[in-house]
Amino acid sequence: MSLKPRKVDFNATWSSLQDTVRGVITLDHVPRTVWNDRFSDVYSLCVAHPEPLADRLYAETKQYLIDHVAKLLNKIQEGGESQLIRNYFYYWSQYSEGAGYLHKLYFYLNQQHIKTQKGSDAEILYGGSDISGAGEQMEIGELALEVWRADMIAPLGHRLVKLLLEVINQDRAQQPLTVPIEAVRGTILSFVEVQSCKKKGQLQLYQDLFEEPFLDASGEHFKRDAARLLQEKDVSLYMEKVMAKIDEELLRARKFLHFSSLPKVSQRCESHMVAEHLYFLYSECMNMVQGERKKDLSNMYSLLKSVPNAISVLVDTVLEHIKAQGLTAVSNLQGESMHIHFVENLLKVYKKYKQLIQEVFNADQNFVGALDKACSSVINHKSNGGRGPCRSPELLAKYCDTLLKKSSKGISESEVDEKLSQSIIIFKYIDDKDVFQKFYSRMLAKRLIHQQTQSMDAEEAMINRLKQACGYEFTNKLHRMFTDMSVSADLNNKFGEFLKKENIDLGITFNIHVLQAGAWPLGQTVVTPFALPQQLEKSVQMFEKFYHTSFNGRKLTWLHHLCQAELRLEYLKKPYLVTMQTFQMAILLLFENTDVLTCGEIRDTLQLSNEQFQRHASSLIDCKFLLSESEDLKSESSLRLNLEYSNKRTRFRITAAVQKETPQEVEHTMNSVEEDRKLYLQAAIVRIMKSRKVLKHNQLIQEVCAQSKVSFAPSIPMIKKCIEALIDKQYIERTPHSSEEYSYVA
Amino acid sequence: MKVTIKNWVGVATWKWVANDDNCGICRMPFDGCCPDCKLPGDDCPLVWGQCSHCFHMHCIVKWLQSQQVNQQCPMCRQEWKFNNK
Repeated sequence: MSLKPRKVDFNATWSSLQDTVRGVITLDHVPRTVWNDRFSDVYSLCVAHPEPLADRLYAETKQYLIDHVAKLLNKIQEGGESQLIRNYFYYWSQYSEGAGYLHKLYFYLNQQHIKTQKGSDAEILYGGSDISGAGEQMEIGELALEVWRADMIAPLGHRLVKLLLEVINQDRAQQPLTVPIEAVRGTILSFVEVQSCKKKGQLQLYQDLFEEPFLDASGEHFKRDAARLLQEKDVSLYMEKVMAKIDEELLRARKFLHFSSLPKVSQRCESHMVAEHLYFLYSECMNMVQGERKKDLSNMYSLLKSVPNAISVLVDTVLEHIKAQGLTAVSNLQGESMHIHFVENLLKVYKKYKQLIQEVFNADQNFVGALDKACSSVINHKSNGGRGPCRSPELLAKYCDTLLKKSSKGISESEVDEKLSQSIIIFKYIDDKDVFQKFYSRMLAKRLIHQQTQSMDAEEAMINRLKQACGYEFTNKLHRMFTDMSVSADLNNKFGEFLKKENIDLGITFNIHVLQAGAWPLGQTVVTPFALPQQLEKSVQMFEKFYHTSFNGRKLTWLHHLCQAELRLEYLKKPYLVTMQTFQMAILLLFENTDVLTCGEIRDTLQLSNEQFQRHASSLIDCKFLLSESEDLKSESSLRLNLEYSNKRTRFRITAAVQKETPQEVEHTMNSVEEDRKLYLQAAIVRIMKSRKVLKHNQLIQEVCAQSKVSFAPSIPMIKKCIEALIDKQYIERTPHSSEEYSYVA
Repeated sequence: MKVTIKNWVGVATWKWVANDDNCGICRMPFDGCCPDCKLPGDDCPLVWGQCSHCFHMHCIVKWLQSQQVNQQCPMCRQEWKFNNK
C-alpha cells in the first residue's frame, strides 16, 4: 500500500476500525493482519486528502470509549454491593490493559497529531500553558484512562471507598476477608494508575478519594485502640503493644496501599497513640531511667523519637540520672587513695552510660549530649553549694602522678598507658584545665628532679595526649622541662670530661640538674640561707667554674631543698644506704664527732631558718635517726643520735615525708593559678582590643570567654577587674560617648 | 667516719645576668625571648659584645645584617665584636 495521502471514506474505515477497537479494549482476539490493516487505517485517516480526518477520528474514538465505559458501569453494578469491588477490579484490569494496546494502535495519531499540539514538557512542568483546557486533545491511552476516571470512578468512587474501608476493618479485626486481597489492592491502586499519564499530581485522586478517608478512619481506630490499651495502666505493656500495632499497620499498609502512604500511616498512628498520651508515657519515665530498664527505655526511645520535641523529657531524665549516679560515685571519698577512686569511679559511670546510650538509644546525639553535660557537671561540681573549690583537677593530676611514678604496684606498662589514656576522658570535661596543668606540672617537676619517673616514654605519651586535647600552648612548659632534663644529662657528661682533664677528684659521685628558671613550677621559693657542708663545697665550686666557662652570662642558683644525697651510715650495727634531702644530710653530718647536739647549735652552724630546721629535724626524729627529749624543738633542747637504729631494709629513702604536697603548697598552687588567670585575661583583652579598636562591653566579655574556654571558664567579675586594671594602665579607655564601650589606646 | 656521702644530686636553676634588664634592640626583658621566638631559654640566647653591651642573639644578628657599611653596636657605635671570653 502507498503512504501517499489519498481520499478516504471516513464512515467505512471507522466502522471497521471501531470493530477492532472493541476487540482490543475487551482483550478479545485480534488477528495480526487485521491489527496491521487497522494500524495503517489510522495513518490514512490522519493524512487523508483533501482534509485530514484526525480530529474526527479522535472525537469518534472518545465517544466510543465513553459508551463502552458506561456499559461497563452497568455491568459492574449488576452484582450489587457485595460484588462491587470484585467486578470493578475485573473490568478495570481488562480495560486498563486494553487501553495500553489501544494506545499502540493509535500510534500515528498520538505521535503526529496530538504530541505536536501539546505544550512541551517544560511548559507543563513550569505552568507555562493551561494544560487543563477543555478542548485539549489527549493521547489515546490517557484519553481512555481519563474517560474511566470521569465516567466510572466519579460516580462509583465513594461507594467503592466505603466498601474498601470495610474490608480493611475486617482485616484489622482479623476476620476472614469477603473480597480477595488482589481485588482490594488492585482497586485501590487503580486510583493511582488512572492518573499515571499525568505529569503532575499523579497521586491527587488517590489522596483525595481514598487516602484521606482511610487515614481519618484509621485515626479513629487508633484512638479507640489507645483508649483500650490505656485502661491497663501499664506503660511498658502499652509501649510494647503500640510498637506491635505500628508494625502491624505498616504491614497492612504495604499489603493494601500505595507505598507513598506508609509514612503517613505510621505518623497517624504515632500521633494518636504516642503524642496524645505523652504524659502517660512520661509518668513512668523516671522509674524506667532509675531502674535502667533497657528494654523499656529502648521502646520509649523509638516511640518518642519520631514525635517532635517529645524526646527532651526523656533526655533530661537520663541526664539527671547520670548526674546523680556520678555524684554518688564520687561523694564521700576519703583517705590516701581518694584520687584513684575518684577517677576510676567516674570512668566507671561514664563507660556504663556510654554503653547504655549506644545500646538503648542508638547513640542518639541528644543522649550523647546529655552524657557530656552530666559528666561535665559532676566533674566540675563544687562542694558547699558552689562556694567550695572543685578538687577534680588536683585529683586527676594526682591520679596521673600515681601512675607515672615509680612504684612496686606491679601493673604493666600497657595497663598504665591504657589508664592514662582513659584519664583524658575525664580531663576533657574539666573546666579548670589550667588548674590541672599547674598541679600536673608541679608533680612532673618532682618526678623528674627526684628521678621517680617510671618511664620517659609514658611521660612523653601523656604530654602528647594533653597537647592533642588542649594544644601546644598548654603543654609547652612541660616540654621545656623535658628539654632541660636532656640538656642536664649532656652537661653531666661534659662536666665529667672536664674533671678528668683537669685531674680533679670531688670525693663524691656528683650529678646535677640545671633547670631554666621560669620553665619550672618551683614557685617563688625564697632561696633559704644555708651553710653548705664542706664535703660538698668542692663539687659546687668546680661545677660553677665549669658552668661559667661554658656559658657566658648565666647565673646559677642552687636549690638545696630539691637536692638529695645517698648516704652510707656506718655507725650502726649494720651499714645502711639512705637517700635523703640535703638539709637532712647536713644535720646528720654534724654528728660526726659527737652524739648529742642542741637544736640551737645545729641551726646556727647550718644557718638554717627556724622553719626549715623544724621541718627537717622533725623528719629525722620521725624516722628515728635522731632522738629528742621534748616534743617541741626549742633552741636549748638537745638531739641525740640514735645508735640503736635498725631497719629490715638496708637501702631506702626518707625523702617522702618532706616531698609530700603540703596543704600550703596546694593553696599556693591555687593562688598562682589565680594570678596566671589575671595575666591571661589581660593579655586576651589587649589582643582583642588591638584587633577590634572599639568594642562594646558585652562583646568584649563574650570574646574573652571564647578565647579562654580552652583552659578555664573565667568569672565575669574577674574579667571586669582585668578591664579596670587595663584602663588604669592606659592600654584601653572608655569611649567618651558611652560608658559601655572601650577603645584601644595605641 | 660515721656518715659518708655516696652520691649527691644537685639541683640548680640558671638565669641570665646582664648589665641591663631589657634588650636594647627589641626592648623585651632578657628573662623573656626576642619577639621572633616563642620561648625563652637555650633557643634564644643572649650575646655580649666586646663593648660589654648585651642583646638577644637574634636581635643583634638581625641588626648587623641590616647594616651595609660598618658593623657597629647599636648602643655605643663602637665596632661590634662578639665577646667569646
